[in-house]
Amino acid sequence: MSQTKSLNVDYNYTVVRLFAVTTVMWGIVGMGLGVLLAAQLYWPALNFDTAWFTYSRLRPLHTNAVIFAFGTSALFATSYYVVQRTCQVRLFAEKLAMFTFIGWQAVIIAAVITLPMGIGNSSKEYAELEWPIDILIAVVWVSYAVVFFGTLVKRNTSHIYVANWFYGGFIITVAALHIVNSMAVPVSFTKSYSVYAGAVDAMVQWWYGHNAVGFLLTAGFLGMMYYFVPKQAGRPVYSYRLSVVHFWALIALYIWAGSHHLHYTALPDWTQSVGMVMSVILFVPSWGGMINGIMTLSGAWHKLKTDPILRFLIVSLSFYGMSTFEGPMMAIKSVNALSHYTDWTVGHVHSGALGWVAMVSIGAIYHLIPNIYNQGRMYSIKLINTHFWLHTIGVVLYIVAMWISGIMQGMMWRAVNTDGTLTYSFVQSLEASYPFYLMRFIGGCFVVTGMLVMAYNVVKTIRAKDGALEPVAEAA
Amino acid sequence: MMDIATLHSIFTVLVFVGFIGLVVWLFVLKRKPDFEEQANLPFADDQKPKQQQKQESDHE
Repeated sequence: MSQTKSLNVDYNYTVVRLFAVTTVMWGIVGMGLGVLLAAQLYWPALNFDTAWFTYSRLRPLHTNAVIFAFGTSALFATSYYVVQRTCQVRLFAEKLAMFTFIGWQAVIIAAVITLPMGIGNSSKEYAELEWPIDILIAVVWVSYAVVFFGTLVKRNTSHIYVANWFYGGFIITVAALHIVNSMAVPVSFTKSYSVYAGAVDAMVQWWYGHNAVGFLLTAGFLGMMYYFVPKQAGRPVYSYRLSVVHFWALIALYIWAGSHHLHYTALPDWTQSVGMVMSVILFVPSWGGMINGIMTLSGAWHKLKTDPILRFLIVSLSFYGMSTFEGPMMAIKSVNALSHYTDWTVGHVHSGALGWVAMVSIGAIYHLIPNIYNQGRMYSIKLINTHFWLHTIGVVLYIVAMWISGIMQGMMWRAVNTDGTLTYSFVQSLEASYPFYLMRFIGGCFVVTGMLVMAYNVVKTIRAKDGALEPVAEAA
Repeated sequence: MMDIATLHSIFTVLVFVGFIGLVVWLFVLKRKPDFEEQANLPFADDQKPKQQQKQESDHE
């Protein structure tokens, strides 16, 4: 880095733009559905007695929409952007890249149609979609790998930047997870049965399920973190060496942790214990990565005061640290005996999903939008700040409500009288949780309002005259 | 005959040795300036030369 290169590589921003805009759109849809479901849990009449509006059908639509529509669109947008800019080269196979956009949106629309109709394999969480859609996902995903790795191969830099390692790990592993877990025998166009049976089926499902968390919701978004945090902070990552150790340790450990979803089930005891031990060890690389991200700001902490985008990114890392402390703890069998099947799990998932995944994506998109639309900054920095506070308040309300409700449920369910009978009936625990379901609903409303503020800001930025928005002056 | 458990044990040991090897390579064998150059890759294609120079002065 001796001389300053003023590169004007002609990057392909078309696909990046499409994915960036759909990220915001699907974010509103997916989180809006979440709020509707939270409302249904408080006011059950909101299913209007129609089959396709019931909780059981909309819940998989919510999870698919936030993970695969919102989160994965954000990953597509940022990975295509980051791989081009750090390899200083235009995308490989651009038509195929456009196909990944159209194909992926087709997958999401198919989900929006089939899940409310009750079509899908509901026994596989986060893999509910029926086999024809599964095949389309596999085709799109392999195309994604071709575009991404093809771009890496034709790069103009000698080294592959660490963010691309994380993105690459995420792309390969998700392909393997999806294809293995979706193996099924079709009996008709809309019905199939898994090729696995019994405890093996459960283990394959949670090998998939937890590594969807580990590789899609963690490794992919860490790729995002390793580019956008240094970029927004204006300084290189705290320790590049640590980032390499972080990558390999995370990849080597995550794949073993899935069985912690099946504690005290028909799964062999030793498999449960392996899952528990690996989950606890995972704490180490997780926190190593979090510290690496946050310490990137060392010596520039003052930027947090003025830059709400950086605040989104850094607070996302704090939530990442919190969830990766909570997760290993909940994977310990004795803690799991209390927490499993309660709202605590729901709270944990959302501190990861809304705190870590959504906040790092939102921060990255705010950084990305002006860059791909020839603007110096977003239309309104103030509105980014408004969004930050709406989102933060919403997430905190949500997870605090679920912590209290979940731990209370766990305590009530295990309470026994001296004669061995249960102290509380299930309905009593439900009544106790009821107020917290309202609190969760209110938290969700905050989050969705924030997303609407974001959509307004994004539209205003895109529609502004080319280059009309001047960059913010750097504070000395 | 080698059974599956032996193969798994060998694999586990290999992964462990590989990881230790990686750490030794990173912290003992590899030179620091290489990593500094790599860590600066996100800034290498910046189109604003002024910010770029400021960037470098921050890091020696």
